[in-house]
Amino acid sequence: MPRLRIAWVMTYVALLAMALYNLLPFFWMVSSSLKTDIEVTTFPATLLPRALTFEAYHRIWAQEGFLQYFVNSLKVSGATALLSATLGVFAAYGFSRFDFRGKRALMLAFLASQMLPGVLLVGPYFKMLSLANLFDTHFGLILAQTTITLPFSVWMLKGYIDTLPVEIDQAAMIDGASRWQCLFYCVLPNILPGLVATMIFAFLLAWGDLLWALCLINTPEKQTMTLGITNLVGQFRVLWSDVMAATVIGCMIPAALYLMLQRYLVQGVAGSSVKG
Amino acid sequence: MIGERYTGWWFVGPAGLVMALILGFPAIAAVLGSVNLGWGSTKPFGIDSYLRLWGDAEFRQSLWNTAIFVVSVVSLHFLLGMSVALLLDRPLRMRWLFRVIAILPWTMPDVIGGIIFRFIFDTLYGGINALGLAIGWIDQPVDWLGRPGLALLSVILAEAWRGYPYVMLILLAGLQAVPREQYEAAKMDGAGAWQTFVYVTLPNLRTMIVIALVLDTVWECRLFGMIFGMTGGGPGQATQNLTLLVYRHYFQFFDTAYASSIAVVLAAILLVAAMPYLRVAIRRAE
Repeated sequence: MPRLRIAWVMTYVALLAMALYNLLPFFWMVSSSLKTDIEVTTFPATLLPRALTFEAYHRIWAQEGFLQYFVNSLKVSGATALLSATLGVFAAYGFSRFDFRGKRALMLAFLASQMLPGVLLVGPYFKMLSLANLFDTHFGLILAQTTITLPFSVWMLKGYIDTLPVEIDQAAMIDGASRWQCLFYCVLPNILPGLVATMIFAFLLAWGDLLWALCLINTPEKQTMTLGITNLVGQFRVLWSDVMAATVIGCMIPAALYLMLQRYLVQGVAGSSVKG
Repeated sequence: MIGERYTGWWFVGPAGLVMALILGFPAIAAVLGSVNLGWGSTKPFGIDSYLRLWGDAEFRQSLWNTAIFVVSVVSLHFLLGMSVALLLDRPLRMRWLFRVIAILPWTMPDVIGGIIFRFIFDTLYGGINALGLAIGWIDQPVDWLGRPGLALLSVILAEAWRGYPYVMLILLAGLQAVPREQYEAAKMDGAGAWQTFVYVTLPNLRTMIVIALVLDTVWECRLFGMIFGMTGGGPGQATQNLTLLVYRHYFQFFDTAYASSIAVVLAAILLVAAMPYLRVAIRRAE
């Protein structure tokens, strides 16, 4: 009995150590965002704010453009998720339910394309968009994000559709349903949770992106959240309390969405190569 | 599976076309660009960009930085990820809470992580130096991000923190699929905790370990935001990886051909590294 108890205590001690390790940077971020701009630049740094203040948040929200960055990120990430889910559902259904010439090669192409680095595409992409007059537009940025999100959406959705028995389709078709009706009325309702999970993953990948926004967006009013925050640090004197307030705002949406997605995370991550 | 010879194409076609246009086309253009066959290239066809790579000290350093960074980070991710996955695989009280905490670092966009750690490692106002001084590890503030070796170490530590939940999640999925009877059998045979881990857990986990290591390697090789936000590749080029190097050649020096050749080398490395994963994934999908 005592040996079991020791094992139990050790497990929880280890878990608490893990929690401390994971939470400390978050704690530091939130704590610094609540300090005055004088306290945040005292040496050595204080652990907790001496005087709690929301000044940094007020300043960041009042700062020109910050709300706009937030809206831009929502718009670009939302549209990316919608586009890759729409195209992805059809492709996933095709891969899951049909046998056709070139299927294996195409599946491999979708999978391997997830391994390509974004910097390989960014140069030619830049030129393509300039030629099409799409440089410095959100539409161009959305298409660029789709290069990352579409392949994994297809693979993830295929995994969900594969779990449904083909008999569902066959039964519906015997009753006179067309292929499209099958997809919309039999398959889609059954994979709805998976579809939502896929869309949220795509949203988060787009939300966290910096490279594409940095290369394809020029006008300040069109910048996304990550780019706006990065530019705060690029300035001459960094106001750390304000920057930390901005990062708190930038982290909140992904953290909330991931926590809602908790249940799907394990299977989703194992089923495809997703990372924010 | 329903065997209609071409019907499947109607479903797969749109996504395939879009991918060919926004991914296939630029990828091919990049490869062509690296041998001076790209748009607006004035030089004749040639592999001079690749020849230049050989003699370029900055390229060598970036390659070396990438190698050190990826090997260290992936090893740390594996150690941390495996430990936490084993902890979370046990029956626990408040397991959901620990799971939530365990994945939190990974929810942070990488560039935001980079900015936060840039502040944490700050010489004067950062938390690391404040902590070190308070405990007595150091007697004066250390310039973490200003000294080449320390800067690389700091970036490695920061990314080790941010990325490990990803590896943990894949390993946890693997652990939960291990048949419980095998643990029972090992227990009946009198196996200890370590023996059970080596002879039951690890063999069952082999595929998931390969997947986790390969995917993590690919992600860490092309990491951009974390390093861009934390050091911008500096001091000098001490923390510059291949991704940042390509970015600089494109958008600071506007040397398209040379930038493409580095990107092509990086893409080739990634595709080769991803081979084991591609094989497993295709086999599973069929």
